[in-house]
Amino acid sequence: MLKSSESILNDPHFKLLSFLVTSARGCLDEPQIYGPLRLLDAAQRVIEIMKEEGKSTEEIEKLEEKIEECIDVLMYDEEEFVKLLDEISKDLARIIKG
Amino acid sequence: MELIDIIKGRRAVRRFEDKPISIEDMKKILEAAIWAPSGSNIQPWEFILVMDKENIEKIKLVSPGLFGNPQALVVVCLNKERAKKGGKMGEEMARLDLGISAQNMMLMAYSLGIGSCPVVSFNKIALKELLNIPEHVDPVIILIFGYPKRWPRAPRRREFKEVVHVEEFGKHFE
Repeated sequence: MLKSSESILNDPHFKLLSFLVTSARGCLDEPQIYGPLRLLDAAQRVIEIMKEEGKSTEEIEKLEEKIEECIDVLMYDEEEFVKLLDEISKDLARIIKG
Repeated sequence: MELIDIIKGRRAVRRFEDKPISIEDMKKILEAAIWAPSGSNIQPWEFILVMDKENIEKIKLVSPGLFGNPQALVVVCLNKERAKKGGKMGEEMARLDLGISAQNMMLMAYSLGIGSCPVVSFNKIALKELLNIPEHVDPVIILIFGYPKRWPRAPRRREFKEVVHVEEFGKHFE
């Protein structure tokens, strides 16, 4: 069923949709490093949706903590940001491997 | 608090307590804004204060750089009609004025124990539509405010010796 415009504003999928569209436009003009930042932010939003829908796991929630740390560190230490991003990629691979 | 402590203590804060800021404090912050220096005293600024939670959420939807849960926003706008009074340099001067007024607000906020962060990653067209901003006014910066969950650590600064030139470019303090 279609949602009314009022309730869609609080819908996490709509929030993600809005974030992705406005990020796509923003990335054309913003610093290059903001691209990975927006993708990580989107990843965190996906995990939040998974949690709400009962689809998350302990490993995914640990991944979210690292993503949050990674976002925080970006403005202070780009090298550390890349290091954490590599760690997150490895953690993700471990989840996929099972 | 000494001014230098306020300047050095301010941080870009993006994660806030769920504690409202009083309208009196926001007025103090905005008062600091309007006393910023302005080229030719043109005062090319307009400030839109947003404290309604629903309105903040709507703005967040079109502002990828605005995350966390700020309790108040100030949209710092450039009035292009006023900026024209500055001639060819008008818009450039106006943007400097806006930046200085934003810094005044962030320092005032910090002196009140309130965290802030300037955000420029927002969709200007969508924001203008949401806030009924007229054609001749452009939103330039969104300042977000709230009581910090924690004050972030200080980011690295380029060395004083490297960036300060004495008498001529390339000569530095010993």
